[in-house]
Amino acid sequence: MIEMDPLDIGLIGILALLVLVFIGVRVFIAAGAVGMAGLIAIIGWDAGIGMAGTIPHSKSLTYVLSVLPMFILIGYLAFHAGMTTAVFEAARRWTGWLPGGLAVATVFATAGFAAVSGASTATAAVFARTAIPEMLRHGYDRRLAAGVVAAGGTLASLIPPSAILVLYAIIVEESVGKLLLAGFIPGLISAVIYAVIISGRVIVSPELAPATEKFNLTAALKATPGTWPIVAVIAIIFGAIYRGWATPTDAGALGAFVIFSVALYRGMTRNKLKEALMETAKLTVMIFSIIWGVLVFVRFMGFAGLPAAFADFLTGLDMSPTLIIVMILIGYAILGMFMDGIGMLLLTLPIVYPAVIGLGYDPIWFGIIVVKMVEVCLITPPIGLNCYVVHGVRPDIPLQDVFRGIGLFFIADILTVALFIAYPEIITFLPDLMTKN
Amino acid sequence: MAVAQEPDGGALATANRVYARIEDGLAWVAAGGIFLLMFFGTAQIVLSKLNFPIFGYIDVVEQSIALFAFLAVAYCQRLGGHVRMELVISRLSGRGFWFAEVLSILASLVFIALMLEPSFGHFLRAWEAGDSTINAELPIWPTKLMVPVALSILWLRLLLQFLGYFRLFLNPAATPVAVPLVLDVAEQAEEEIQDALGDDYDALREEARRDD
Repeated sequence: MIEMDPLDIGLIGILALLVLVFIGVRVFIAAGAVGMAGLIAIIGWDAGIGMAGTIPHSKSLTYVLSVLPMFILIGYLAFHAGMTTAVFEAARRWTGWLPGGLAVATVFATAGFAAVSGASTATAAVFARTAIPEMLRHGYDRRLAAGVVAAGGTLASLIPPSAILVLYAIIVEESVGKLLLAGFIPGLISAVIYAVIISGRVIVSPELAPATEKFNLTAALKATPGTWPIVAVIAIIFGAIYRGWATPTDAGALGAFVIFSVALYRGMTRNKLKEALMETAKLTVMIFSIIWGVLVFVRFMGFAGLPAAFADFLTGLDMSPTLIIVMILIGYAILGMFMDGIGMLLLTLPIVYPAVIGLGYDPIWFGIIVVKMVEVCLITPPIGLNCYVVHGVRPDIPLQDVFRGIGLFFIADILTVALFIAYPEIITFLPDLMTKN
Repeated sequence: MAVAQEPDGGALATANRVYARIEDGLAWVAAGGIFLLMFFGTAQIVLSKLNFPIFGYIDVVEQSIALFAFLAVAYCQRLGGHVRMELVISRLSGRGFWFAEVLSILASLVFIALMLEPSFGHFLRAWEAGDSTINAELPIWPTKLMVPVALSILWLRLLLQFLGYFRLFLNPAATPVAVPLVLDVAEQAEEEIQDALGDDYDALREEARRDD
């Protein structure tokens, strides 16, 4: 054991973690190694190593975590279920009459597909292929067309099924079900705000999006059945949790089974199934590795007393809690520009979360806000992977144009987050309702 | 991420190829576990609605997590699938870049080696005491054994990568063998597009060629 204040060991640990992550060590190894070293420094060699060595098994084999592969599988199978065209067609028939109707349709189609696939970037790729040509054909401004596709994918993480919300729930030990429920309305509101801002922009500058064909109610209703797999998956997961008739894992399994059946019906080959399963296995083991690696680190942080000290420091500041939360969110936005969302959340939450709770904020509320921030980072420079993907599918639209097209949606996202900060009930009322029932 | 398997890597390339088969096999078991869980969970919903819930369901699901939480860990490492921050090191090039990779793998080798003994001890205690799950009384030792087994396989993969990076550090002009390649944002985007579009990707690139 080292004769040092545990708090100092904790601070050194955080520095060491930053160095390892910056030199490119895989996050699960960086977190696990620093966690183990810190435990050794505080509680001694045998106890430290022994504790670190038991965490992968004891922390991974818990029932709630079994929902992760199910949600991931739904995502990979969704790409083989051939729903994108049907969803886009239905959305445009319903919203085509609005100013910028095709762009608004793209928002709802990407939101629905992204929710089920859970893959923001991949959704951007698919819709860059289907929705952008349609918008350009109707004379839409190419920045608007590219921006809406890149931004639409970011609605993936809030609407259930969402693996990242499950991860948040697990790390902060909150109810997975409540978080999944809580994301639904903020996800819808985000989409509606996107739609409103598009229409508003087009009313001001009609040349951005010429009016397109209008459909009557019958035509709209006729196209709607094509969206049933998406509606079914969201309804199964939402309904199961809200009504309490199945656990998130069972609901996820049923959702995956539905999408699997649709994909088979649409002619998914054995090779495609194999590919989807192997991709699922790869992403699943990646997430589980980070979970146990980070939990070794969390155990060390607990012994060092750092989360409590950080919480004391923040709550002792002579600043309004709102200002502190805004600063934390700005911190996330900056970090998110350089780091993958899952890694960033899991590494920072153990320290940031107790402080946020200490400031009196609701754990569910904070989860939704933070996940929304992670998604915003997918469209902000310098990385903004979604923008690169749209440009990759449409090399004729310069990257700068995609980033410029995003501007509008970035403003919409800031407004949305501000709305959630001002009216936290928007997020908390559904999970509260579940508790009351 | 693609792994270079050029013949000039000699023994390392061969070792990489042979070893990849073992990793693929284990990843298959993980993938199969996930696929079966889908049916198992669906069956549980249906049967419990009919008032015949599966006995020991939660125990079986919990123990099955070991399959997909651990077994594919080396497979994922080979393909560069574990998350990391590439922003800083992707600025480096040549020998400096390979040196950073060597350091990073060295740290990984030490950590995973230290994890082996305690995770094996965790298994041994369960084996000797005959620990079992609460409801279905399934023995716990098999899943506890999977941790040191998967980590040993990961350790050997890390060793192959260490050799691969060290070789490039000595001779930066050599063709990379047995190491995942670092992609920049545009290349990552290209890979995402390829994964998402599947067969349609070829059509997309064909159109792009025609337009040129």
